[in-house]
Amino acid sequence: MFAKSIRYEYLATAIEIIASASIGFLLASIVLIVLGYDPIEAYAVLFRSALEDSHYVMARASFILLTGLAFSIPALAGLFNIGAEGQMYVGGLFALLATLYVPNPLVGILAGILGGVAYSAIAGLLRSYRNVNEVISTIMLNWISYYVVMYLILTRFANPMIPHMSRPVPELARLGDVGGVPVIFIISVAVAIIMYVVIYYTKIGYTIRACGLNVKAAQYAGIDPKKPTVLSVLIGGGMAGLAGALNVIGFTYAIDVLLSSMHGMGFDGIGVALLGRNHPIGIIFSAIFFSALIVGSHGLQMEMGIIRELADATIGIIIVALAIPYAYRMLVSYFRIRRMRVE
Amino acid sequence: MAELSTIADLIFIAFGAMVPITLAALGEIITERAGVVNIGLEGIMLISSLTAAIATYYTDNPYLGLLAGIATGLLIGFVHALISVKLKGNQIVSGIGINIFAYGIVVVALVYIWGNYGQSAPLSSIPRVGVGTYAVSPIFILTILLGIGLYFFLFRTTAGLKLRACGEDPRSAEAMGVKVELVRIIATTVGAAFSGLAGAYMSVDYIGQFTKEITSGRGFIALANVVFSNWNPLFALVGGFIFGFSDAVARYLEIILMMPGLSYLFKTIPYLTTLVIVGIFFKRARMPRALGKPYIKE
Repeated sequence: MFAKSIRYEYLATAIEIIASASIGFLLASIVLIVLGYDPIEAYAVLFRSALEDSHYVMARASFILLTGLAFSIPALAGLFNIGAEGQMYVGGLFALLATLYVPNPLVGILAGILGGVAYSAIAGLLRSYRNVNEVISTIMLNWISYYVVMYLILTRFANPMIPHMSRPVPELARLGDVGGVPVIFIISVAVAIIMYVVIYYTKIGYTIRACGLNVKAAQYAGIDPKKPTVLSVLIGGGMAGLAGALNVIGFTYAIDVLLSSMHGMGFDGIGVALLGRNHPIGIIFSAIFFSALIVGSHGLQMEMGIIRELADATIGIIIVALAIPYAYRMLVSYFRIRRMRVE
Repeated sequence: MAELSTIADLIFIAFGAMVPITLAALGEIITERAGVVNIGLEGIMLISSLTAAIATYYTDNPYLGLLAGIATGLLIGFVHALISVKLKGNQIVSGIGINIFAYGIVVVALVYIWGNYGQSAPLSSIPRVGVGTYAVSPIFILTILLGIGLYFFLFRTTAGLKLRACGEDPRSAEAMGVKVELVRIIATTVGAAFSGLAGAYMSVDYIGQFTKEITSGRGFIALANVVFSNWNPLFALVGGFIFGFSDAVARYLEIILMMPGLSYLFKTIPYLTTLVIVGIFFKRARMPRALGKPYIKE
């Protein structure tokens, strides 16, 4: 009975994910037809160019995997952390500054995590002690960090040779490749696996999930919901900060004035987390999928002239579609419970 | 622009800046009072701003642009309503999806229509009413009237009472004979139309052009305004003015100080103000009891 219900869970999840992705691609196809392109040809070019540039797919997947975790861990506690974007900027800035003084990648990584944690703490504390909805506070914090980091790069840490870039990360602090695979990809996959263990096999993870499933029940079981709630936001912030750090010390080796190498990846992470159903292992695969979609859309723009932002719009549709299957699940489980009662 | 240094000028800039934040908040008050959350305001404003720009660009009539914006709001609001009410979907996830979809689709449209990644061609805009620099948009007057009208509708009419009942206690409302699902669908659709008008105002009135970052978080500031107002349309007018004023101060400082680096810091003022205000007022806020919870009939 138990094994059967678990198998059913997996099947229902698989159906949800495939159905949502299909709706996304279907609507994107309609847009393509309206604009006068052949969608089949477009998708062929998309996936071919993603395969051809698998190194970039892996690098990009690293960042959105981590911003995906930044969304999903608070989400498991019942919070919507939309602030990965800003937490990532701060993490990237901290990593850059730290490595400028101490040229060591580990120092950069730790500084990035610290920056993300510290910045997410503002939203976490506002939520716990002032009852401020985290969606609103994190969006405001995103914009604040966007402009403040821009200001600092432009006025304090600009590269005298290349004025639109920050001073570069010292050679000693940079992360490169191991056997053709970016080190940052290995790190982020490892972090996802660690998070899987933390969430599903430790007491901290258990209390986080308990608060997300039912705050009242968790309270009756003796859990003070404040602690796991704040903690989940801090862990999420750390993940986003790490994404920023890896971006700076493992990929671009500097921060440009418009933050364009990081811009939007916090929001992509939301899609990654939702498609991965907030499960750390699922997120590894959905990050690779979305990364392939985004990298492939660059190739699509170069070869067929299709604007690559169409990929972003497609991700949006997939997310809207992902909101619905809860209904489907509720319906099915409702009938199953009724049937069990009858039996 | 020469007399920017007076408080009166700042107030009139604030009158212009408060419109989108207030309109979107008023619409969201209708939606949330009926028990549905729509955090896709930002995306709805952005897409409506674009469709208003497209309609104005091809017809040269900004009023048709406003209608196009409202229609866009109605359409997206209806989709969100179906997902939230009929399909019992996750309202927050749907709202996030709307926002991300908007960021992508507006760039696609910009490039195909104007061949530009950032902005549209300049658009003809709605004439102001008033004297010299002391002029306001007719949409500003409409916003104030809508705020007052909405207050009377929600708190002084039977229809308003029924709508609020759907957000407070849908089961009792249903027992009273209110069609909860229908009310919620209408409230969500109409509420989104306010965001549609807000977006249209930005491109065909306030700015006179569409840019891909035209909304810059205003949809979320509007959400903050909803909570600040305690779901009361009259306080939403006040909140809108406070947020609009902080926006005006930021732009004023940018213009008079003319320091390119520092202007980035001034841009943070409206967001900082929002954060401080929500930090002060959220503790007292009391939201509709059934907000965000799908209503499932027995």
